[in-house]
Amino acid sequence: MQRIPVKGRSALEAAAARHEFEFHAETGIPYWDESAYYQFSSHQIENDLQGPAEEIERLCYEVIGRAMEDETVFRRLGVAESFWDYIADSWHNQEKNLYGRMDFSYDGNGPAKLLEYNADTPTTLYESAVFQWEWLEEAVAEGLIPEACDQFNEIHEKIVEAFSLLDIDGPLHLASNADIEDDRGTLDYIGECAEEAGRTIRTLAMEDIGIDPEGRFTDLDDQIIKTLFKLYPWEWIMAEKFGENLPASGVRFIEPPWRAILSNKGLLPILWEMFEGHPNLLPAYFDGDPAAASLGDTYVRKPLLSRQGANIEIVRNGKSEIHNEGPYGAEGHIVQAFHPLPEITGNYPMIGCWLIASRAVGMGIREDTTLVTGTSARFVPHVILD
Amino acid sequence: MKRWNSISVAALMSASIIGLSACEEPKVDAAVFDSLQRCINEPGMLREDCEKSYGEAKSQHASVAPKFTSLQDCQADFGEGQCEQAPQRTSSGGSVFMPLMMGYMMGSMIGGRGRGFGGSQPLYRTTSDPKTYRTADNKKAGSTLGRTRVASSATSRPSVKTSTIKRGGFGSSGRRFGSAAT
Repeated sequence: MQRIPVKGRSALEAAAARHEFEFHAETGIPYWDESAYYQFSSHQIENDLQGPAEEIERLCYEVIGRAMEDETVFRRLGVAESFWDYIADSWHNQEKNLYGRMDFSYDGNGPAKLLEYNADTPTTLYESAVFQWEWLEEAVAEGLIPEACDQFNEIHEKIVEAFSLLDIDGPLHLASNADIEDDRGTLDYIGECAEEAGRTIRTLAMEDIGIDPEGRFTDLDDQIIKTLFKLYPWEWIMAEKFGENLPASGVRFIEPPWRAILSNKGLLPILWEMFEGHPNLLPAYFDGDPAAASLGDTYVRKPLLSRQGANIEIVRNGKSEIHNEGPYGAEGHIVQAFHPLPEITGNYPMIGCWLIASRAVGMGIREDTTLVTGTSARFVPHVILD
Repeated sequence: MKRWNSISVAALMSASIIGLSACEEPKVDAAVFDSLQRCINEPGMLREDCEKSYGEAKSQHASVAPKFTSLQDCQADFGEGQCEQAPQRTSSGGSVFMPLMMGYMMGSMIGGRGRGFGGSQPLYRTTSDPKTYRTADNKKAGSTLGRTRVASSATSRPSVKTSTIKRGGFGSSGRRFGSAAT
């Protein structure tokens, strides 16, 4: 794995316009950086990332299996008791998952270490699936990178394939927080994939969802919502007013409710408890667990449900080194062994491995200038070259 | 690691262009009646077919008709005296209203039985466009009584309508926390 500086494409502005990305003459596209790319060998991709990601996915299913038999799992994740049956039913009904992103710390040598699993509402999907691929094609065409370059990226076609296999009755509704443009961008992309798979879609804002006399959810045309792709976390849905109507609503959700077990950072200590010593896992414990003492005075403390690096604290030698602000943490924390992201000329790349329908099919790298990847991170493309 | 032969994004874009340039929707044979008697009087129509299709439309009416939680809202769209109480109730026990069934349509039946009509459904008329009969999904079935031709989408089975009694029960966390992104 190398970070290689490269010239930007001459037609970057046109590419930005084509994809409706913001563009500034001086700084280019915000959160997109093609002044460098990461190069991997196919061995690194297949053996160090793709294989382990699918292996961890399998371990995650064992965690869910345990949650089905052992209610302390739900309790430790902080899931309200009123939703235990609802979540369990979604698993027993085999409601299918669509997509997720595992974030790894990996420097090209030794096993990649799982930092967290964004199993419910992962984003940077469009950059990974589409914009990054187009960069590869155009950079090759312009002679900026070797012609033999490949990319770990079958994300788009696998999402389309997944939609064509999903059992969807009637139109697919899609909803997100309407005020957040980036979320809407991801939602629209998912909708395009569904349409490419022959689905009829209807998009609305989460707050526009209605409820009918029988407790079913409705769209703005009073049509009953039967299948809903929601870019809106399960813990929010369950905590909000209409949450109590979930079981009666009959809605098939994508991601399904059981994904709430995996998107919770409490997954990490449970994985460690069940598979201690696994080369791709880091030691992790629930906050307050006496066993956490084994981490010593250097560790990372994460809220169970934070997003985009918020409220994450790195403690080194007993001293709080980084402590990101944010609104999360009231739900509890975990502590995880400190395994820093590699530093390359002041950049800290984090590898996001995409799983579509539980198969690892692509990758996106985000770089920040600190050890905690947050909202200022830039997406940097990658290639495979042997 | 397989490289895609051609980027599917290009396919995406062309797909939407094809969608836009598609021709006007094809029309299919149908029959529109404002009453059972009108159907029976129509030359070539059998009384038993008329009665059967009228019954089918009538039985769908309560489930597919547009729904309102106030009589005023219903009358604003369908006119004074043109609405009735629906059998449904809101969760708090309140009344639900729907427009009166103003007619029915026998849609064309592809490869159908005998005369080629089937798939009956109720029709409605709005105050803003009272001449036009509309399906429960607000698709135009024209203003011609008897045998006619309608857009094929109008002959598809109408969706079950419900009434929304409340909105806004989702979204509060998003307003508080912002992006759902991880």
